[in-house]
Amino acid sequence: MSQKVAEPKPAVNINEDHCSRCTICSSLCPYDAITQDRDNNIMVLDIEKCQVCGICYSACPAKAIDTIYYSSGSVLKYLEKARPQYKSDNLVIMCKGSAPDFAGVGKLFGVKDFIPLSVPCVGRISEEVLLGVTVAGMKKIDILACDEDYCRFHRGSPLTGRRVIALNRMLEQLGYGEEAITMKRNSLKVTVDKDLCIACGTCVAYCPYNAPTLTSEGGISFDLDACRGCGLCVALCPAFALDLDNWERDRISNLIPQMLAGMKPPKILVFRCQWAVYPPLNGDMGPNIGTIELPCAGRIEAFHILEAIQNGADGVMVVACSEDDCKQEKVSAKAEHVVANIKAKLDQIGLGDKLNFASVSPRYPGQVEEKVREFRQSLEGAKKGETK
Amino acid sequence: MIVTTLKPLDEILESISPYRKILIAGCDGCTQPPRGIREVKTLKQLLELAGQLKGKEFEFKVTSVVKQCDSVLTVSAIKPYVEDVEAVLSLACGAGPQTVAKFFPDLPAIPAQNSHFIGIDDRQEGQMFDSCSACGDCILALTGGICPVTRCSKGLLNGACGGASNGKCELDPDRDCAWELIYERLRRLGRLDLIKKFTPAKDYSAKGWRVTP
Repeated sequence: MSQKVAEPKPAVNINEDHCSRCTICSSLCPYDAITQDRDNNIMVLDIEKCQVCGICYSACPAKAIDTIYYSSGSVLKYLEKARPQYKSDNLVIMCKGSAPDFAGVGKLFGVKDFIPLSVPCVGRISEEVLLGVTVAGMKKIDILACDEDYCRFHRGSPLTGRRVIALNRMLEQLGYGEEAITMKRNSLKVTVDKDLCIACGTCVAYCPYNAPTLTSEGGISFDLDACRGCGLCVALCPAFALDLDNWERDRISNLIPQMLAGMKPPKILVFRCQWAVYPPLNGDMGPNIGTIELPCAGRIEAFHILEAIQNGADGVMVVACSEDDCKQEKVSAKAEHVVANIKAKLDQIGLGDKLNFASVSPRYPGQVEEKVREFRQSLEGAKKGETK
Repeated sequence: MIVTTLKPLDEILESISPYRKILIAGCDGCTQPPRGIREVKTLKQLLELAGQLKGKEFEFKVTSVVKQCDSVLTVSAIKPYVEDVEAVLSLACGAGPQTVAKFFPDLPAIPAQNSHFIGIDDRQEGQMFDSCSACGDCILALTGGICPVTRCSKGLLNGACGGASNGKCELDPDRDCAWELIYERLRRLGRLDLIKKFTPAKDYSAKGWRVTP
């Protein structure tokens, strides 16, 4: 597939001049994207394998790895601005993979006001940031990581756990108290309304993790340890008997008109897998584009796509990872199928052009903007054709 | 299961065009996935959008019946809406609209699905296959669990006919020869004796048109 980006500039880079060849990065990378080239004595990054988790970035002792997302500098800058805005000295750094909404996160830590910092994987937050924030006078730092076996990048959550233990020991010696940084783990999983279940087995057929079991005697039951929260079963359940923590059907339904009301035509509502695009801190894509994040593109429901069109969206886009990049078991391919299916129906009534599916990766920044721009052009082209 | 597909939306729109207040009734029964409340609501959204484009305003109610072929379940699910609607759009197989038609004589019953066959859902291939003709006199015990009435193009009760090549039917090269499958299966089960048994011409009156349980 050809990349439409003019000069694909990767989001992660190894700076040879700073690199000490210690190989920590290659030993930590969950995707074997970094290897040591012994002949040339350099570390080599295969960007096509890289999933942009940022673990290498946060772990490099020589600061030889650059990333354009949530670099330590940009995080510290964000906090400088956010501190007076949230009027709090309590920072909560959370992985968006396991973080409920603002109130839910507060509840987990027993706080009402805090500065939220939502990142794709807390494993990308370096000691430099954690120490910098402490030194800058942040009274309390809480970290919400995913349960270890729920971590989308496999090693981000365990690594952060070890990092926090080491930092706390150091901070204690420096006189910052016993547990300067607190850490909790969480995961967001399926919920079942047994009263609504019609025992059809659709969830059993589609779950990539064999989490649901259906028997005549026992009805439906989910092994929540196996559930990875992709939301595919929730999106497909014919009886609306399933829901997903934080990505409840009603919450998304409420968001749709709310977002569209604040947008300017042509209104493009983007349902986006949270691992396919890393948005800038506090960033948005302009008055025409609204974004609803999904835990995985597999959570997309035809129902929500149609709701968006009914509520005045000129275009709806579903943005997913490619099948190979999918952080779940190739669930993004299923999402593409769901979208193609409803698009075929929309085609029948002449509205198929309003729906678009794109797969992108954060490894090439700007991809999503490019796809949205193309879609917008096609929408505007269609509109012009209409008026002629 | 019963295998059905959604009718073209244009056809559905044409059928419901004389009416404004319509009950869309799903069925949680035999199709996979069931055409339950999700399918009902999605169809409602699609028809509303199509109606808007055509300047036609519908007023839809929605429900889903546990099994639309069951008169008791269907009557109890649909009765509360009878006064409020002019027609029922059914997402069930062909039995659904007929149940509605029989028990609500004044209410037009419109199918939203085309019913194809009683079939196997092969998840691996992502396809469904015709596998039972509901003939009324099952011979699967003799044929290794593979139905020649349905799956042999000629419906032969004693095969194979000899026309197959490379395991495919001479009438349809995409189709497996049912009798070759039966032979292989019986061989595997060590029951090739069964293939020598002669099955006389089928008495299709056994299929019947009504059954008293």
